[in-house]
Amino acid sequence: MELFLQTLIGGLLIGGLYAIIGIGMTLIMGVLGIINLAHGQIMMVGMYLAWLFWMAFGLDPYLSLFLAVPLVFLLGIFLSKYLLYPLIEKDSILPENQVLMTVGIGMVLVELARFIFSSDYRSVKTSYSDKTIMLGNISLSWPLVIAFVIAILLTLGLFWLLIKTDLGRSIRATAQDRDAATLMGISSKRITILTYGIGSGLVGAAGILLLPIYYLFPDVGPIFTVKAFVITILGGLGSPIGAIAGGIVLGIAETFGATYISMGYRDAVGLVIFLLVLVFLPGGLKQIFKI
Amino acid sequence: MKFTKILIGLIAVGLMFSLNSCGKKETGPIKIGVLLPLTGHQANFGTMEKNSYELAKEEINAKGGINGRKLEFVYEDDTGKPDVGRSAAEKLINVDKVPMIAGGYSSSVTFAAAAVAQQYRTPFLVNTGSVDKITQPEDFNLTVNDGDKFYIYRMNPPVSEYASGLESLLSEVVKPKSVYIIHENTAFGTKGAKSFAKTAKKLGIEVLGQQQYSAGTVDFKPLLLNAKKANPDMVYMISYVMDAALLMKQAREINFTTPKLYVGAGAGFTMPAFKENAGKASDHVVSATLWHQTLPIKGAKEYYDNYVKKYGGDGPDYHGAEAYSAAYVVADVLTRCKGDYSKETIKKALDNTDMMTVFGPVKFVSYGKKIHQNKMKTYVVQWINGELKLVWPKNLANAKFEYPIDWKKVWAE
Amino acid sequence: MEDKNKKSPFVTKVELGIIAFAIILPFIFDSSPYFQGLLIFVLMWVILGTSWNLLAGYTGLVSFGHAAYFGIGAYAAALPYYHFHISPWWGLLTGGIVAVILGYLLGIVVFRLRGPYFALGTLASAEILRLIFGEEEWLTNGHNGILYMTTWVSKYPYYFIALILALGAIFSVKFVMRTKAGYYFLSIREDEDAAQALGINTKKYKNISTVISTFWAGMAGAFYMIYMGFIDPEVVFALHNISIITILVGIIGGVGTIWGPAVGAVVMVLVQELFRSSIFGLAPSWVSGMHAFVFGLLVIFVILYMAGGILGDWDLIKKKLKFSRKVETSK
Repeated sequence: MELFLQTLIGGLLIGGLYAIIGIGMTLIMGVLGIINLAHGQIMMVGMYLAWLFWMAFGLDPYLSLFLAVPLVFLLGIFLSKYLLYPLIEKDSILPENQVLMTVGIGMVLVELARFIFSSDYRSVKTSYSDKTIMLGNISLSWPLVIAFVIAILLTLGLFWLLIKTDLGRSIRATAQDRDAATLMGISSKRITILTYGIGSGLVGAAGILLLPIYYLFPDVGPIFTVKAFVITILGGLGSPIGAIAGGIVLGIAETFGATYISMGYRDAVGLVIFLLVLVFLPGGLKQIFKI
Repeated sequence: MKFTKILIGLIAVGLMFSLNSCGKKETGPIKIGVLLPLTGHQANFGTMEKNSYELAKEEINAKGGINGRKLEFVYEDDTGKPDVGRSAAEKLINVDKVPMIAGGYSSSVTFAAAAVAQQYRTPFLVNTGSVDKITQPEDFNLTVNDGDKFYIYRMNPPVSEYASGLESLLSEVVKPKSVYIIHENTAFGTKGAKSFAKTAKKLGIEVLGQQQYSAGTVDFKPLLLNAKKANPDMVYMISYVMDAALLMKQAREINFTTPKLYVGAGAGFTMPAFKENAGKASDHVVSATLWHQTLPIKGAKEYYDNYVKKYGGDGPDYHGAEAYSAAYVVADVLTRCKGDYSKETIKKALDNTDMMTVFGPVKFVSYGKKIHQNKMKTYVVQWINGELKLVWPKNLANAKFEYPIDWKKVWAE
Repeated sequence: MEDKNKKSPFVTKVELGIIAFAIILPFIFDSSPYFQGLLIFVLMWVILGTSWNLLAGYTGLVSFGHAAYFGIGAYAAALPYYHFHISPWWGLLTGGIVAVILGYLLGIVVFRLRGPYFALGTLASAEILRLIFGEEEWLTNGHNGILYMTTWVSKYPYYFIALILALGAIFSVKFVMRTKAGYYFLSIREDEDAAQALGINTKKYKNISTVISTFWAGMAGAFYMIYMGFIDPEVVFALHNISIITILVGIIGGVGTIWGPAVGAVVMVLVQELFRSSIFGLAPSWVSGMHAFVFGLLVIFVILYMAGGILGDWDLIKKKLKFSRKVETSK
């Protein structure tokens, strides 16, 4: 029972982190209609920024959320404005050109990071890095709990943005039907660029929340990119609620897979879920929740 | 018209390549190829080894070089990928025309590059790549009697022997009845786990479970809880430094206090970054290791200090010592070639190698399925109050082996 | 473009020239097996890129998981050797066929998907294979990989085998694109629903395209095993190093052009190797650390300014070059 509960709660907490990674991706996929293969690399940029602030000013990673995330957001704006958006207007045989652009962006970001920070492993040590909370026999890592809480707050904030503001409504409209949204007078250029920025900011935030628990090196990203795909498909394109559910389902499925099947197949669990969903529930969880 | 132009241009380039080989200067530096991962995710170790090669080279050249000529290393970046490693080895042999290659970090890259060296009959002194088959001629379609046709030499012990120093510690002091093995799912990890399972059988230790994980695992708790449920006397882990730290940290978080011993199989567990990241959870963890700067070997401490002085940072671990010593083996071998730096002479000189390095004595011998393998002792170190101490074998130890260990007390806040 | 093809002979003069050139090329570099090795890599990427191009560039099925077929082809050659010491050379027969079978099976799943879903579905299939082949050690020797001492030291035989395969891939694509099937492929690419509405059996033609494409990808994999003599799951099922690079080869050269992937392969291998070796050791060594960086920049540049790839935008490039150099106006 202890094993079961620990697995469940561990999966839930990790799932919270996965959810923010996934929300960023689902917005980008929904609005831009592309898979963002630079997602993990943008997360890496966020992590290095937070690490840098911690090294230089001793800034707590949770505080640097307020500093690093806006920077990552600006990076996203820059990338989408000058590199990704121009492709939408250009005629090319394959729409996948944008996806490959993200590959190029990802390569450049990784190599820049390696050039500046070298390949050494980095991590942030805080006073609470080692703290745990005991719930009966179940141990919860303190940073993971904080990350989970912040993840929820971030998600709530995002919801407020998406549901209550004009910008949010425009994003959701564009995600659902780009042409119709344009006809309704929404500037799809502005929305596209902003969405990529927001998606980047979110995944950057996820990286920073991961930093006290995990470690950092230039190639840290790709694994999390793949997770973001799985979450997005699981949740349904463009659906933040779907992404939250998807993230948590993935987190729990992975830890259960690791506990009860084999740790080596931990990654496969996600991918198999992914294919099953693609085939049997092509709209993702969105189809069930209708949001 | 355009076509012929291109053709002429290409022929010119082709000639350039062939001219490269003609310019044999008898007084210029002797060039030896070094294959290391300088980019990609193994680059931090590759860089440590490159720095150590450079450090050794400067010392060797300052002392007069090789029979009056300077020694020079030509580095090729294998980027941690076997296919790139192969073409990099080919480039060293065919373009740079080096008579000998050293280096070799990751197991799979080294193995793939070794096949190239073997085909081109170019001596390859491996300093880190550790899967057993690298020095097993049967994997290269040869037999153990084909020493004269086998061009691969290895200075570091194969992964199956990384824990040999640990064996006596276990059988004489700890006497565990059961073990749980956790390892990363790479060639190094799986081979290491397999061979330790064999060792355990030999020592009468029951293997209660064997679990692997892949890179990018954030939460090791499910795995550790499975281990906890099995209730082993010791936990044996094969991980690189950051995963090693996560494993110990999370073992502490779930109060996994029952094992008598936590043992790391070298790799990550001896690095300063392990202690920094695992914090308290690193204390009293034991690790097999191939080398430690406090070993009573001449030059070990000097090498460590010089490295830190020159490159800063945490200082080198056994990987650096391997590279540094390999450079000295190269110098020794070349010096004994007495001016004839052809592949065959170098190979013969390698066969007769018998020297002392900061990594320990180096001599290439045959045993079991292996030939041209340097037999080495391995050691056991333990983190004691934040410092890595050599605790086994007893006659070399610089600290008392802390045992038995009360993890509850060690891990207390 | 397609119209011109119809009237022109199957093998044009320029193509004959290229083939003749490709035949003498290795002899020019006789003294440098290393450079010959690079040429062999170019040819391998030509095979892979051409294979991908038929599926993606002509049929609109943008596969992000070509490593699946490449890897299965490589293992088709390697596994009989590993278990029964059957020569990997048989892989040149079986590799393509096994890949076709896999392509058909995966097709059942992924052909139900469109757009980004298709991309992700193919990507996931290759990833799952990578994990399975890494995990099932009894079958594949897992992460230890499979080593085979290659048959020859000389590069010539490998070069010409690769050349035959590459030409086979290129001309099989050229051939099929001149048949009715080729037009159906294009109509599927432009608008699958419309094609279906016109009475084209889109499923059938997607499968035909897949069979040809996966066959060549599998052959490339089998050739890789024979030539390199070492594979492991991380190498042959690699997402970035195989699947993505395959796409980049196609994109850089020119999507939906017969010779585009060949151009892309030349550019990709040369750029990577030039920088990895610090421009053959002429530049300072830190340059070698920049090879991935430069390649990334090249990708960004090509996509931004030459969306059709080098061959696809050849007229445009020529125009710009003419503007600056004013040479060779006729032809």
